[in-house]
Amino acid sequence: MRRRLLLVTILVGGLALAALSPAPIAGQGQAYSPPRLADGQPDLQGTYDLATLTPLERPNGMNAVLSREEVAKLEGAVAAVVALGARPSSGERAAPPKGGDGSRGAAGNVGGYNSFWLDPGSTFTMVNGEARTSIVVDPSDGRLPPLTPAARQRLGALLARPSAENDPGLDPTPGAYDDPERRPLGERCLLGFGSAAGPPALPNYFYNNLRKIVQTPDRIVILNEMVHDVRVIRMNAQHLPSHIRKWAGDSVGRWEGDTLVVDTTNFNADQIRYVVAVAPGRTLMMVESIGAEEQDRLSGPGKDLHVIERFTRVGEKALLYRFTIEDPGTWERPWTGEFTWPATDQPIYEYACHEANYALENILRGARQRDAEATKR
Amino acid sequence: MRMKLPIVAVGALALTAAAPAMAHHAFGGEFDSTRPVLLKGPIVKVEWVNPHTWIHMEVKKPDGGTEVWMIEGGSPNSLLRQGITKNSLPIGTEIVVDGYQARDHTLKRANGRNITYPDGRKLFFGSSGTGAPRDGADPTEKEPGR
Repeated sequence: MRRRLLLVTILVGGLALAALSPAPIAGQGQAYSPPRLADGQPDLQGTYDLATLTPLERPNGMNAVLSREEVAKLEGAVAAVVALGARPSSGERAAPPKGGDGSRGAAGNVGGYNSFWLDPGSTFTMVNGEARTSIVVDPSDGRLPPLTPAARQRLGALLARPSAENDPGLDPTPGAYDDPERRPLGERCLLGFGSAAGPPALPNYFYNNLRKIVQTPDRIVILNEMVHDVRVIRMNAQHLPSHIRKWAGDSVGRWEGDTLVVDTTNFNADQIRYVVAVAPGRTLMMVESIGAEEQDRLSGPGKDLHVIERFTRVGEKALLYRFTIEDPGTWERPWTGEFTWPATDQPIYEYACHEANYALENILRGARQRDAEATKR
Repeated sequence: MRMKLPIVAVGALALTAAAPAMAHHAFGGEFDSTRPVLLKGPIVKVEWVNPHTWIHMEVKKPDGGTEVWMIEGGSPNSLLRQGITKNSLPIGTEIVVDGYQARDHTLKRANGRNITYPDGRKLFFGSSGTGAPRDGADPTEKEPGR
């Protein structure tokens, strides 16, 4: 049974809002020797801001690395658009159009809210002094590898789903609003939405991109600002039995030299994440949450998802984050991405998602009103 | 190398517009596109919380009475990091909101698709020239150069 599907579209060229020149990361390079904790392990602790203008996939027609002039030009274009968004509206404006404003995706024909709430990133990621145009580094063209035939079939079915009749804002999946447990994980405050949850830890190109790392001798914890996800990485441990499935998977870690290597398997069947390339100029991110029966029937999308992450401190103020995705039910071959996590002295605030989750209440109450109206007819 | 400036600009525009491509929840399930609203009035309460900030405002009804509407905004976290605090939107600040009402029409709730001061300035927006964001504490403060 398909339980939840959520499509998210990101304009590749638009993963950008502000206009700061990317500063090279001081000390980045092979020779850097990281500070160490009392037990000798490299100190990766700190708060990091994953927001970046660099998209997951390289836009068509771009080289892997931008020159400083190109960076300045692109950021200037983005800055101009930001300034446009900050311009005043008319205080005497009318209500938005009846029937919706045409916005798509999660904005569901009613729009969201002003962009002053957003914080999607202001610099291209700098790796080895290079301003990168994609997070994907393998395949070397910066694009994701082909989907398997089964995954293409799933994606096709997803894209072919009709909208709810006369109401494009509604999810047409039968029973989608029947109870809270049919709602998406993000809406229920269980996991970050879009690319925010992971692993892998990806920028979400939206807001709340901070991560905090805390180390102890036998556990390393990564706090994700978005929805307050916490990963506890057990060091030098074995994976849990394969029938035990966890949100964000089961992560075990080890040190390879000064690099922390984290191996994650045993993802919960309701948290299956893919990122799929579609038409030129766009990356379609598909966040899929499906029931176990369908998983079996479709020969296991994500069942064997295996994420290997490598964290290396490359400077006083930066980690290099590298990850490889293996999921033979979805991708024709493994793929790898990397980007720099710049340290930030900004505080990371508690998310406390349940505290004011009026949205879930509003969504379910709206569905009950539709039920009542349908009964009357 | 061929640059794609127009695509970047268009894409960025899509992100800076009021419509997010992805969000904590399905906006279309929460709000009713057949119920557009334009609300004007003073702030009576701000819930500065996650996953969404809710601004409560008092709105005049056609019969002369008033009712309180709740307006959904984004996560406060990045605003807090910019120095905006719960004191940045004092009770009594007049605002103008356009959005769509919740699908349960018994609820006086709407998304804050566009929240401004009465003269049209966006809340919190506008550089002071130092790169610091306007904190919104003074709704009469003018944009530099305006």
